Amino acid sequence: MEVSISKMRHATIFSLKGRLDSNTAPQFEKQLQDFLRGPNSHLIFDFDNLEYISSAGLRVILNTAKAYNAGPYRFAACAMQEHVQEVFEISGFDSFITIHRTVDESLSALDQA
Amino acid sequence: MDVSFQITNDLAELNTLQAHLKDLQSVWLLTPKTVAEINLVLEEIIANIIAHGDCTGPHPITITLTREGQELTMTVADEGPSFDPTICAAPDITLPLKDRKTGGLGLHLVRTFCQGCSYTRKNNTNILILKRLIPKECR
Repeated sequence: MEVSISKMRHATIFSLKGRLDSNTAPQFEKQLQDFLRGPNSHLIFDFDNLEYISSAGLRVILNTAKAYNAGPYRFAACAMQEHVQEVFEISGFDSFITIHRTVDESLSALDQA
Repeated sequence: MDVSFQITNDLAELNTLQAHLKDLQSVWLLTPKTVAEINLVLEEIIANIIAHGDCTGPHPITITLTREGQELTMTVADEGPSFDPTICAAPDITLPLKDRKTGGLGLHLVRTFCQGCSYTRKNNTNILILKRLIPKECR
C-alpha cells in the first residue's frame, strides 16, 4: 500500500492507495505512530484509491479513531470504494466514524466541529 | 471446476493468494467486489492460522476453490495445532468507540460473507469448509 501525507488547512490528510491487509497494516501503523501519540491537527483518511481492506486494516483504523476520540483534534474518513465501505458497515465502524464523500466534505465538517 | 494451490504460513503469501484470485476472476467472470470478498474471507482464515499456528518453520496451507453453478466452496487445510474458528465468540459491533475491541472482527467478516462454515480435525489436519453464493451478476 502507498501512503501520501499532505496538509490542508488545519488537517493532515493520509491518502491511501492499494491494499490495507495483514501484510501492509504493520507498516501503516508505524507511519501513523507520531500522529496517534500526540495529535496536533485534525486527521483525514482519504480512501479514494484504496481497493481492499481486511480486519488487520480495521484494527489500525479503530486505534486511530480511539486516539482522536478525546479531542480537541478530530478524525474523519472519506471517499470509500464500495468494498471498503461495506467492510466498514459490517463491522459497525460507521457508527463512530463519519464517512464523507470527498476530502472537501471532510474538511468542511471538521471546520464546523 | 476446481482450483487448488498451496502457500506457506507467511503473511507475504497473501500476495500469492491475490494472484490466484486474479486469475480466477477472469476464468469465472467474477466482479471485483466478489473477488475482494472472497480474498477477505481467505485472508482472515489464513491470518488466523498463521497467528495461532506453529511459527518455528514453514508449514503448508492448502486452499481449494470449487464452483458448482453459483455456489463456491472454499476449503482451507493446514497441519497446525487444532484450531476451530467456528466456535469463536462474535464481537459486539454495537458498542460505542471507547468500549470497542479489535479482536474477533475477522471472523465476523467471514461469517457475514459466507453462508456456511464447518470445521473438522482429521489426520492432524484442520479442515475448514466455507460456502458462499456467488451473486448472479458473475456468470
